[in-house]
Amino acid sequence: MIGERAINAVGTRAVAVSREIGGITILFAQILRALLPPRLDGRELVKNLHKMGNRSVPIVALTAFFTGGLMVVQAAPFVQRLQATSLAGWAAGYAVLREVGPILIALMFSGRVGANNTAELGTMTVTEQLDGLRALAIDPIRYLIVPRVVAMMVMLVCLTCIGDLIALAGAMLVAKGVLDIEFGIMYASFVENLSPADFLHGIYKSIAFGLSIAVTSCYFGVTVRGGAVGVGRAVNAAVVAAAVSIMLLDFFLTYLNV
Amino acid sequence: MIELQDVGVRFASRQVLDGVRLDVARGARLGIIGPAASGKSVLIKVIAGLVAPSSGRLIIDGTDVTGLTEERLAPVRARIGMLFQNYALYDFLTVEGNVGFPLVRRGEPADQVAQRVRDRLRAVGLAGSEHKLPSQLSGGMKKRVGIARATIAAPELVLYDEPTAGLDPVTTSKMYDLLRADHEQSGATAIAVSSDVAALIGFVDTVIFLYQGRAHYQGPAATVADAPDPVVRQFVRGALDGPLVG
Repeated sequence: MIGERAINAVGTRAVAVSREIGGITILFAQILRALLPPRLDGRELVKNLHKMGNRSVPIVALTAFFTGGLMVVQAAPFVQRLQATSLAGWAAGYAVLREVGPILIALMFSGRVGANNTAELGTMTVTEQLDGLRALAIDPIRYLIVPRVVAMMVMLVCLTCIGDLIALAGAMLVAKGVLDIEFGIMYASFVENLSPADFLHGIYKSIAFGLSIAVTSCYFGVTVRGGAVGVGRAVNAAVVAAAVSIMLLDFFLTYLNV
Repeated sequence: MIELQDVGVRFASRQVLDGVRLDVARGARLGIIGPAASGKSVLIKVIAGLVAPSSGRLIIDGTDVTGLTEERLAPVRARIGMLFQNYALYDFLTVEGNVGFPLVRRGEPADQVAQRVRDRLRAVGLAGSEHKLPSQLSGGMKKRVGIARATIAAPELVLYDEPTAGLDPVTTSKMYDLLRADHEQSGATAIAVSSDVAALIGFVDTVIFLYQGRAHYQGPAATVADAPDPVVRQFVRGALDGPLVG
């Protein structure tokens, strides 16, 4: 009896998850279709670039600065024990550029921009604004969703670039403060040990993370049911789905790139 | 102008509309009435092409538009204006932006759009509210902005989903006066869903009564209170005793 109930519960959950994945895939296909030929609403795109990108800079800068610093703090005992100060920059830079920077910035972006996007689209859905667009013969995918997806992808890449720079600066400052490593030594360590491929590895990831945050947040926004409570549930689901997809994508992209 | 042939709508296991037949002539005014969850809003959305029927056919001006893609429905929708139950005003646009939106999307020159928006807002009694956001408006004002937006492009068919829901009796009377004056001037076909039967009957010529997804009455608005079906009579008269299952 208990076993049967457990199997039922697992089965129901599996069907629900499959339905969500199917819905996200269909929305992704609709977005691709709407991009061919690319006819973007310029005003919507600019508005979203500003709202999603510019306003995220302070939180990304803060996260990146402490991430860079944290990498140095973690590396400090080994650097001091091995007297390998010239490798402190490599340790911090490698981790920040390839892994920690893109992931943490994507998670911050998902929590701030993705959640807001789901709430906004969800509210528009429950107040019939999407039907209002359709009634005016305007395709909500082309008018509302595509500019948001493009803006999120572009802005997450830009924010990752800015975040990388700030994280490296944070690493240099903390290295100077904690380990008394000169800026010049850290700079030389970055230049000698890091390659453009390390930076690009993080950028590829941020493109994929941006797409995944954008599509999941839009999907949960436009499929909201159940009024204000439904919007809350959708935001929660979107943040969880984006976080899970970021981790899965990170694993596979790292695995394929090694 | 509009013909529904045995239209049925099914959401998962729930039959929302079942075998609804309807014929609305050009310039006519039809009211859709019925208890809550009887399928009124779904029926009006079927007519607007926003909900696809699971069975039956929707014919507009002799053309079967059932199951058309969004792209192929666009020219049909361009001839329809709709007021939504929840107003559907775009939060990110001002009153002026909302009302002028259908014209802007059609690429009409900005000065002409501005002039028509001003005229339309004056007609609905909202002159001077151009720069307000929807969040700064009362329910009645939002309805009037919705009406202005639904009618600014001079549509041949205007659909009203609960045009007076949540409004006080005086504002309700004003709203119907506005709709009546509008339709007498434009000659557009009107279909209105409302739970306020008494007020609606003064605006429409014919009514359709929906109950559990089926049409129980279709005929002149003036005689709906004397309909042979006891369910219809009970609903229209607001009687407590009768066969109507609340």
